[in-house]
Amino acid sequence: MVVTFPNMGNVAIAAKTLCQGLALPYVMPETNNSKTLAVGSYYAPEEICLPFKLILGNFILAARQGADTMWITGSCGPCRFGEYCELAMRTLKKLGYRTDFVVADLSSDVGVKEFIRRIGTVAAASPVHPVEKLRALRLAYQVVELCDRLDAKAYERAGYEVHKGECRRLLHEYKTKVRKTESPEETMEVLQDYGRRLDAVPADKSKNPLNVSIIGEIFTIIDPFSNLYIEEKLMGYGVSSKRMLSPSWWVKNMIGKPFRLGSRDVYKASDPYLKYSVGGHGKECVGEAALAKAQGMDGAIQVFPLGCMPEVVAKSILPVIQEDKGIPIMTLIVDEVTGEAGYITRIEAFLDLLKGRRNQNQKASHPRAALNMRQFPSKGV
Amino acid sequence: MKIGLPRGLMYAKYHTFAKTFLEELGAEVVVSPPTNKKILDRGVRCCVDEACLPMKIFHGHVDWLKDRCDALLTPRLIGVRDKEYICPMFCGLIELISNNIPDLPPLIDAPVTSLEYGKLIKWAKQAGGFIQKDDTKIALAFDRARKAQQMEQIGYNEAGYPLKIALVGHVYNIYDQFINMNVKKKLNELGIGVMTYQQVDRGDIDAQIQTLFKKPFWTFAGEYYGASVYISKKGLADGILYLSSFSCGIDSVMTELIQSEIGDFPFMVLKLDEHTGEAGFDTRIEAFSDMLKRRCEFGRHLS
Repeated sequence: MVVTFPNMGNVAIAAKTLCQGLALPYVMPETNNSKTLAVGSYYAPEEICLPFKLILGNFILAARQGADTMWITGSCGPCRFGEYCELAMRTLKKLGYRTDFVVADLSSDVGVKEFIRRIGTVAAASPVHPVEKLRALRLAYQVVELCDRLDAKAYERAGYEVHKGECRRLLHEYKTKVRKTESPEETMEVLQDYGRRLDAVPADKSKNPLNVSIIGEIFTIIDPFSNLYIEEKLMGYGVSSKRMLSPSWWVKNMIGKPFRLGSRDVYKASDPYLKYSVGGHGKECVGEAALAKAQGMDGAIQVFPLGCMPEVVAKSILPVIQEDKGIPIMTLIVDEVTGEAGYITRIEAFLDLLKGRRNQNQKASHPRAALNMRQFPSKGV
Repeated sequence: MKIGLPRGLMYAKYHTFAKTFLEELGAEVVVSPPTNKKILDRGVRCCVDEACLPMKIFHGHVDWLKDRCDALLTPRLIGVRDKEYICPMFCGLIELISNNIPDLPPLIDAPVTSLEYGKLIKWAKQAGGFIQKDDTKIALAFDRARKAQQMEQIGYNEAGYPLKIALVGHVYNIYDQFINMNVKKKLNELGIGVMTYQQVDRGDIDAQIQTLFKKPFWTFAGEYYGASVYISKKGLADGILYLSSFSCGIDSVMTELIQSEIGDFPFMVLKLDEHTGEAGFDTRIEAFSDMLKRRCEFGRHLS
């Protein structure tokens, strides 16, 4: 049994840690790149969304390297993410690979018995002691949490750094190093080390950078390749960005939901606009947009893959939020043919707009404010 | 009281129920005209760009109706069977129309999670309460509407043609002659009879779904899959024509699953959106029918 798992942001690092802790052989997928996408979109159905194409690309490339057990998270609707496992399974079979799939569905969806059976298949293959297995699981969670925290720190501090590009460099360094570590302990060490280094980055507190919230479909915002490295681009412009959705958020929210914990404020904020769940993270997207202004954000950028049904619903609501809360929101839709130049132009234009708005507000608050201040046209951003 | 009923999306399947229910409650029902170019244009103007064609057309119907009635019946369809869903866009349909179409009359938007009696009667009381305050009258109207819906036969199975094609896809694509450019007439003219996938029993569909690793959580998607596989196995038709709307998430998955299951049984997917040209559509249908004819002439082993 050689395990592999898709690149879903930091999930891959957690899965790697888990495999090391369980002493299971594994194939670590390369960070997503144009080859992954080319292979994935060649074999995937034409109209399926971008995340599936990347996940399939990961699986096929790993299968070529000898992986035969695919780990994938599942869901039971209404978004098509739940059908990924079925499609990937059939495609790999058609290509002649003999693979087993371990689909992590929620026990409430597939039944407790099936859930335990699936966990059992993973646990049974591991030679280590049951206590070690639990420890490996705990470590994997700690790793993904730490990674997410590091990312968030880097994205935020980029707006304040004195030497431009330092946060971005550290982010790159830790990402490359952490993929090469040999044991969970080593991974933790690297992460803690880089946590300290990021804290030590000289920051200029007097800077007042633009703050942008990244919202939208979870896969495309946690996997930098699929959103054309939007957060790193923002770092380059000296903009602080914030993103709520992350793998560790997902775990916390999943566990907390039945106990009415988790991101209650977000759900509460989305209720006036979207009362019912539309699948995926459409409700979260709307809630975050509604909260962005109160969180001190200058604007929000929604990213989702072409054809994502829940986010299309969210997108149609965002103009109303824009008007209500007075915060500009831009939507970027990505797929395998997204051109980078046009993408950058739009981001730059959006940032210019945010800057312009800020200057205008400052002027407006000045006692000799111009009398006929032109209102920011909030429609059609 | 005038209640508007948009002739879009699930109207194709549940119009008898909706009309009877409203009429029995004493409301005057205003139905928008059959889809036409003007309605499509209205829909495209107000709908979010990324939505699929049937959604845009629904917006057009709502836009047409908004000045002509006192309220609109647009239930929020979350699911039609227990613990299953339909397309996620339906869950957010009310938000789509209320945020994109200005000056809407009140919407009767009580959610429907299942068509089972116990749950649907709750919906009826919520929705009917808008027109009629008397609960017993609502219950009576509901029962009559249900009976009328059960009497209604949806779909057709034409005999008397040398060849037969099964139409599979969303009801709002199969039965809306504007969206599908009257594909039935086109096929008939080519000497091909048409059957719709509703001719396959639910039991047979369920038996086919069992072969999947994961039972589809979209009710209708399961029906398309089960019916297509059953039709191909039993040879109920000579080919399958899947009418799919562009950027439909469900179709992107189901066409692939069906194709991988039925092997080399003739199967064609036609994509529909507001730019679909009729000439190209005709060419593809003609090519498909030529292929079917040749297949029948020379025997099935050749293709």
